[in-house]
Amino acid sequence: MSSELSRGEETSPVQSSDSNDVAAGFSLRNERETITVAVAGNPNSGKSTLINAIAGTRLYVGNWPGVTVEKKSAVFEHEGRKIKLVDLPGTYSLSPYTQEEIIARDYLVREKPDVIINVVDATNIERNLYLTVQLLELGIPLVIALNIYDEAEQKGYKINTMAMEEMLGVKVVPTVATKKSGLNELLKVVTKVVDNPSRYTPKHLNYGEDIESAAVSVQGHIMKQNPSLNNKYPLRWLAFKLMEGDSHVMEEASLKIDDAFVEKATIHLKKAHGDDIESIMADERYALASGLTREVVKRPEVRKMEITEKIDRVVLNRFLGIPVFLAAMWIVFKFTFDLSQPFGDWIDGATAGPISRLAAKAITAVNGPLWVASLTTEGVIAGVGFVLAFVPVIFAMMFFITFLEGSGYMARAAFVMDRAMHSMGLHGKSFIPMLLGFGCNVPGIYATRTLENPRDKALTALLLPLMSCGARLPVYVVFIGAFFSAHAGTVLWSMYVMGIALAVLMGVIFKRTLFRGESPMFIMELPPYRMPSLKSLMIHTWEKGKHFLIKAGTYIFAVSILVWFLLNLPWGVENKKDSYLGKAGQVIAPALAPIGFGNWEAASSLVTGLIAKEIVVGSMAEIYAVQQEDEETTTVSDDLKEIGSSFLTAVRDSFRNVFATLGIASISAEEDEGASGLKTVIQKTFTPLTAYAFMAFVLLYMPCVVVAIAMKHEFGSWKWFGVAFAYQMGLAWVVAMIIYQGGRILGIG
Amino acid sequence: MNLAMLKPGEIGQITQIGAIGPIKRRLMDMGVLVGEKVKVEKIAPLGDPIEVTIKNYNLSLRKKEAEGILVEAVK
Repeated sequence: MSSELSRGEETSPVQSSDSNDVAAGFSLRNERETITVAVAGNPNSGKSTLINAIAGTRLYVGNWPGVTVEKKSAVFEHEGRKIKLVDLPGTYSLSPYTQEEIIARDYLVREKPDVIINVVDATNIERNLYLTVQLLELGIPLVIALNIYDEAEQKGYKINTMAMEEMLGVKVVPTVATKKSGLNELLKVVTKVVDNPSRYTPKHLNYGEDIESAAVSVQGHIMKQNPSLNNKYPLRWLAFKLMEGDSHVMEEASLKIDDAFVEKATIHLKKAHGDDIESIMADERYALASGLTREVVKRPEVRKMEITEKIDRVVLNRFLGIPVFLAAMWIVFKFTFDLSQPFGDWIDGATAGPISRLAAKAITAVNGPLWVASLTTEGVIAGVGFVLAFVPVIFAMMFFITFLEGSGYMARAAFVMDRAMHSMGLHGKSFIPMLLGFGCNVPGIYATRTLENPRDKALTALLLPLMSCGARLPVYVVFIGAFFSAHAGTVLWSMYVMGIALAVLMGVIFKRTLFRGESPMFIMELPPYRMPSLKSLMIHTWEKGKHFLIKAGTYIFAVSILVWFLLNLPWGVENKKDSYLGKAGQVIAPALAPIGFGNWEAASSLVTGLIAKEIVVGSMAEIYAVQQEDEETTTVSDDLKEIGSSFLTAVRDSFRNVFATLGIASISAEEDEGASGLKTVIQKTFTPLTAYAFMAFVLLYMPCVVVAIAMKHEFGSWKWFGVAFAYQMGLAWVVAMIIYQGGRILGIG
Repeated sequence: MNLAMLKPGEIGQITQIGAIGPIKRRLMDMGVLVGEKVKVEKIAPLGDPIEVTIKNYNLSLRKKEAEGILVEAVK
């Protein structure tokens, strides 16, 4: 095995002095209009921070076509040049096995960017160079951003960047993305490389006699078979892939593999090194990376105990690990929901109260018809308010999740919890989305993006709605108040436990059915702890929040308008029973008879609960025509004052929630004012048994429409939502039926 | 002897990687190669997965995957 880096024949020397650039450039100089720069690097190499530091708010976040892997890009001017920056998914390699790696290499091969910025973690050069070696195979000009350089220096590493440039044939720029240092130099070098591509052609690293000669004969074979492939693919790379038996590439290049030929070309290689060429190649690539690292990096003899090691002694300790984890989760949960909830409530309250009243007054003032006022306030404004009310919690959740990931704790959380989650077919990282689900399923669904494997992600999202969210609480509160006030705590607790138990059960079932055969791996880096930069956190949070507002917001808004029409059509409907909603309830009611509440009122309320479960209580009040207090008349200035003063209250509550040491405010049950009237009505129409069945049904029957939209948004199709909808409806019906029929047999109710 | 049998603090040298396909490639991509020295750092509080140091960084993997990595104990 050769670990020496030797120079191939087609190498071009890198000049360390740039003084004669202009003179040397002459005819080769090629000032491209837009420079396309792909940014590649390992996860945890500070790649995101570097991109955020360069592009800042100019970043556009979207998805890679056809998949739900996030794609960040930015177009901006730098010293009169237009630069298009494309962030490739963070990967350790360019294997054909993970979605991220396929995306990264497909982009590089198909789009042929002008230059690759390869972000390399200076504190972990060897493993990072393994990717660099693979990137160099593509023959695309490359610039190494030797990031986290300050930390490497602190550790006493001496890195000879000149030698590194010499050996790889690429420019190396030390950077500290968190402090924005080296970034200007990096962009300068990038433009220089683009202007003189022939001078900065990366070196062909020597993979050793056996691999090289096999590659040469495979290349010749490809040229004979289809010479046009030479324009489409880097030939040497294509030969490597062929030797590795990369079916993804072969299929795409529509190369008919002459097995006998590849066999012949690699026979010597196999004889000398064994049958598994993919492993031989990986070995050789690592040998190159190790050899290079030995040459250019001098590490201090005595290794100090590092801060990460010290923290992990506590955080991953056998006895302390779980308590620390639970405490961390408690803080995340509390901050996410308690910090944001008062603002959500404020938006909710302001749109439902003063803003609606102001709009109604304005419409009345211009003699607008009553239905316009109703559509504006109950449809449009309520819809907008509904969307906006989610914004604070989405922002808060994104902020904390990004912090957990950026700091390095997320990997530890997965490490600590993996055993427990794995038993129900999930990944250690699934815990956090599930936990967030208890506050609200929607941010939980968005948090599944921390899971890399599509299978883990889908399964987590499917089980997540079984976590009883805050919106189901008002329903429990009303029914418990009406029937079980003597055992309120126990009954409430039983709802949460029922959700968790069914999640475990469904997890085991899904593992054996829908996701059978696939056994995802858990081979995960535990990166060093690092403080994420505030700017990076802010940009990330803002991008996610904005994305939610625009993409999900549009759907949610449309649905709220639709519901208004369902409630108010046919025109002039007086009795709720005759509205389309009421009619839908009448149709559904017989199906609910076996589970104990086959009347149109309950059915219609459940239909509205598809929008958001807390609505169930409100619609019941409306449908059962509970006498409600008349709204007091207010003046315009009263309304404006109310918006302002309630905002101040929200700020105060938010602070108070954070500092309140007792209990989690978001699960403390609060009673609605109008609820007492409703209680009397439901005491007449429900029995304790049907009430309990109804509560179980509300817990299980379907994630709300916002969850549906979030699932569509995260998974790119309605497929997983469809699965969730179907199984949850079935589950809710079966569980409620067992409760009701079982209870009747036992003579309860 | 396999990697899952090592106790925290013990070091092994990898002699063979029994996994195949994507798992093997992934392990190799993460630097788990024949001849490499690997030190078991910690076992998760619930008994699985384990944390190891390899190529100067920390890696975690489930015992099931570690069982496929054959090692020779290094004193």
